[in-house]
Amino acid sequence: MSSLNILVCDDEIAIVDALEIYLKQENYGVLKAYTGTQALKVLSENDIHLIILDIMMPDLDGLATTLKIRETLNIPIILLSAKSEDTDKIIGLNFGADDYVTKPFNPLELLARVKSQMRRYTALGSIAEKTNVLKTGALELDQDTKELRLDDEPIKLTATEYGIVKLLMENLGRVFSINQIYERVWNEPSFSAENTVAVHIRRIREKIEINSKDPKYLKVVWGIGYKIEKY
Amino acid sequence: MDTKSKNIRYALGTKIAATILAWICFLSASGSGLYLLDHNEELTSKSYFDTSSFQLEFSNLLHNVIELNTFLIDEETIKSSGQEHKIIQNNLMRLNRINQHLSDTVNFFFLVIDTNTNEQMTNIQSPDKIKFIEDMPFNVYYNEYDSMYTTSYDSRYHYYYDFNSMLAGTNYEVYASVQEPLQIGDIFYESNITYNQVKATIQNIIILGIASFIILLACIIYLVWVTGKREKGGNIVLIFVDKIYTDIHLLLVIIAAMISIALIGQFSYYGSTETIIAASIILAFDFWIGISYFLSMIRQIKNKQLITNSLTYTILKTFTNFIKMCFDGKVFKVWLMFLLLVYAGINSIVFALSLLGGRINFLAGLIFLMFFNTLILIFLGKSLASLSIIMESTEELSKGNLDYKLNSSKISIAFINLAENLQSIQMGLKKAVAEAIKGERMKTDLITNVSHDLKTPLTSIVTYVDLLKKEALDNEIANGYVDILEEKSSRLKNLIEDLIEASKASSGNLTVKFEKVDLHELVLQTCGEYEELIKSSELDIRINSEFPTLVTADGKYMWRIIENLMSNVIKYSLKNSRVYIDIIQTTTHGQITVKNISATALDISPEQLTERFIRGDSSRTTEGSGLGLSIAQSLTTLQGGIFKIEIDGDLYKATVSLPLWISQSTDNEEND
Repeated sequence: MSSLNILVCDDEIAIVDALEIYLKQENYGVLKAYTGTQALKVLSENDIHLIILDIMMPDLDGLATTLKIRETLNIPIILLSAKSEDTDKIIGLNFGADDYVTKPFNPLELLARVKSQMRRYTALGSIAEKTNVLKTGALELDQDTKELRLDDEPIKLTATEYGIVKLLMENLGRVFSINQIYERVWNEPSFSAENTVAVHIRRIREKIEINSKDPKYLKVVWGIGYKIEKY
Repeated sequence: MDTKSKNIRYALGTKIAATILAWICFLSASGSGLYLLDHNEELTSKSYFDTSSFQLEFSNLLHNVIELNTFLIDEETIKSSGQEHKIIQNNLMRLNRINQHLSDTVNFFFLVIDTNTNEQMTNIQSPDKIKFIEDMPFNVYYNEYDSMYTTSYDSRYHYYYDFNSMLAGTNYEVYASVQEPLQIGDIFYESNITYNQVKATIQNIIILGIASFIILLACIIYLVWVTGKREKGGNIVLIFVDKIYTDIHLLLVIIAAMISIALIGQFSYYGSTETIIAASIILAFDFWIGISYFLSMIRQIKNKQLITNSLTYTILKTFTNFIKMCFDGKVFKVWLMFLLLVYAGINSIVFALSLLGGRINFLAGLIFLMFFNTLILIFLGKSLASLSIIMESTEELSKGNLDYKLNSSKISIAFINLAENLQSIQMGLKKAVAEAIKGERMKTDLITNVSHDLKTPLTSIVTYVDLLKKEALDNEIANGYVDILEEKSSRLKNLIEDLIEASKASSGNLTVKFEKVDLHELVLQTCGEYEELIKSSELDIRINSEFPTLVTADGKYMWRIIENLMSNVIKYSLKNSRVYIDIIQTTTHGQITVKNISATALDISPEQLTERFIRGDSSRTTEGSGLGLSIAQSLTTLQGGIFKIEIDGDLYKATVSLPLWISQSTDNEEND
């Protein structure tokens, strides 16, 4: 498999260098840029499969750069930013980015996100339509084989966990309270002090999420219940 | 012991006891006094023979003897006197009564001698009758011109009747005496016994009276000393009686005194034991009035308000204050007072003139007054209108509307100063508020910017520390250093994130998305999230909630609040202790209460705990930013809730209250 190239762009040289080390360890080809214009220049001259882009940069900032890139290219873009507000994330994603990582980040988390995006990007054409499969984003639940896959990687679930995931994936985007989940998965009336559901949910999240504190799929709606996001 | 006796000295019970004792002593002293007054003769005389009662009795008998022997003589003489029948009957009756009187006595002896006939009338058996009488210690002698008396005591004999004139024109000589010692059987004997009894009692009454008087005096001195004081050197405590104006009080006491004097005056006509009882009752009442007045005055003197607490003083003071106020221009300017006087003057003068000057002048005066008063009314109306404008503006100001504009062109000249002052107050207030807001915003901006600038280098640190960890370092110590770097950089990361959140939450720079939040669900979710930490901390978490409690809140912020509370519980709770999470519902609010026992002593106030960067452990050895509770409080306030922390010894209790969810008709998210 020919090397996949990643463009890393940040005005902080130390961060770019550090990311280069991590990415090279994972056998990615790394190209570096320190401003938005440099990044566009590198893009036009090289075959790039993914971009990691800082937002706050001199000359052309990350958001403007993203807009420019999206005019021609469909490659995954991961934004890096010190701004951690929800609104900042929403703006970034709406500008055409695929993921958003806030500084200071855990390098391993960023790496996981890179891999995830890369898999999705490269495997895009190979997905064959399967029947009896529940799907959201890169998360698939095969009801025939009773198997949960994330980016085509199988994830091991217990029977209860499978039941919960199945319930939530059958009703993507819908919020279920603890009681409702208990009654439907365990098939018996719930007792109010039951918090096993919450514990199971957290375990599932740890298995399927890159950062379980900032989940992408299985989300906690505080004080209301749980849901799996529809993508 | 000493302090105890001092306490007793000032105790209410002692005072009441002393007052009652004083009252009893007063009653017995005054009773003794009245008794002595009533029996003053027994007090001053040496023997029964000196008393007026004896002398009156004796004189009566003597009078009877003379009347009998010189005037009535006997039944025959009366009947043959040839006088009117009525007089004869009267004289006969008198004769009987006198004979009766004389026969009733055993101690009285008399001798009447007619010097012309040498005839003797007597009740003496002895042969030498004159000697018999003159041997008696008490005897008297009368003739037409002379009188003589002998007593064994150096007291005077009172003449109740003019016996000389009774004997005028006769040749009678009268001797009389009362024997001593007295024999049993007549009024002299009985009176003497009574006299001696009273005489013996008087000694005791005098002792009682003096003793009562001394005790009364002691009680009053004690009461004067302690009245108004609750403890040694303490402040003077006034009671309700002291609120009465001193002069009014004095007047009331004088009225009471006058009433009792008038009553006692009434009684004195009857004169008897009943008098003493009635007078005593009145005196008993007077005592209470008197003592309460007296002690009240003492208290007021002690409190230096004897003068200031009088009605006269108050009236004078109010009056002088009013005069001062008028001429100081503090309330009204002098010219305003002057204008008022001019207004009244014009009205009364014109009215008087028009009354004096006939019908046409009266009409003219009336019309003038109507115009004049209408003008004044219009002016007054305008002034009042401007006053109401000013009042409205102060009301707006007090509500916090600093932009309210006062239309000064409409303000009457009387209140223009007030309006201007008010406007300058408004300007000052506005400036102060604007500066405060600006300062707060700058502070928030600063914190946010600094945090952002901190994050970038921190990212490098975190990344390179991770890279360093992956390098195969031979040196064991270096590996230890890298571990410390990793731990501290992650701590720094948490601190910066908390700092930003705290600054945003406290400045209200967050948007709140209100939705229906079930506190019960929230707590279960939180416990699920913290399950492993709870297990490893060996805490026993008890959740007390039966029903869903729906509140209006932002779930994300609620999670942050509960997360902060839970992480505090896990960090600071005593090992192996129980933690209680109660969810209750009041009429307006849903409440989560988290109670735990602190591992270390909490010598800090609840208010301080919610301040930024304050932590339960002042040594700051544990992880955490010290912002958790501050964030929780700010976020609760932001959602319109109430955040409260209570500390009772080692018991730590945090309460979050949020308004209950009010179900609306558009609520279509109902559970199935």
